[in-house]
Amino acid sequence: MEAVQYLATIQAYTGIGIGLIIGLGAAGACIGIGIMCASFLEGAARQPEMIPALQGKVFLLLGLIDASFIIGVGLAMMFAFANPLLSVVPH
Amino acid sequence: METIKTAQVYKQMLKWQLIATISVAVIVTVVAQRLGLASPEHAGISALAGGMSAVLGGIAGALIARSGDKKNDAGAILITMLKAEAVKIFVIALLLFLTFKLYNEHLVPIALILGLAASAILSGAAFIGLDKK
Repeated sequence: MEAVQYLATIQAYTGIGIGLIIGLGAAGACIGIGIMCASFLEGAARQPEMIPALQGKVFLLLGLIDASFIIGVGLAMMFAFANPLLSVVPH
Repeated sequence: METIKTAQVYKQMLKWQLIATISVAVIVTVVAQRLGLASPEHAGISALAGGMSAVLGGIAGALIARSGDKKNDAGAILITMLKAEAVKIFVIALLLFLTFKLYNEHLVPIALILGLAASAILSGAAFIGLDKK
């Protein structure tokens, strides 16, 4: 197989990988945020006086849940802009 | 009743994120120097760029989230939080894109990812500070 074909194959599979990283990461983060928001609303409905105490923790946990997605976006950008797999293709 | 405002949470988050970013930048620079890589300073700068993307995204998100402090309705608070999170992710993605585009020549991608990961994950360590209070 020629170098150009190797390059095209690696780029095609990398594209699929990038889509999977972002898509599955977003799905996981959305499920986590959905569960947490539902719990917050339930807690707020049962004990409205707890809302100010829960508010800060919700903000913190939102950031923690999204951390995996953000790391995924960073990795996806690395594969999109500085793909290390392309170095195996002979020039 | 314990009341934790968003600004208080954010101060803790910022502290931990900055500690994580600077620590990773220093460690990456030292390791790159020990391994004899061509540009240890660029590895450190890459780690700083990754960590600071998360820090600046957090600042943007906190500015939006602060407006939710005055609201009493749980639904309204939640919508403000989700808006803040959307802004945070957008800012981080934009800053990462700019880093990859503008600093492409000397960028050390692994260092950038390490800085970003440490900063994003250790923001959750703010819970330690909040629990002490």
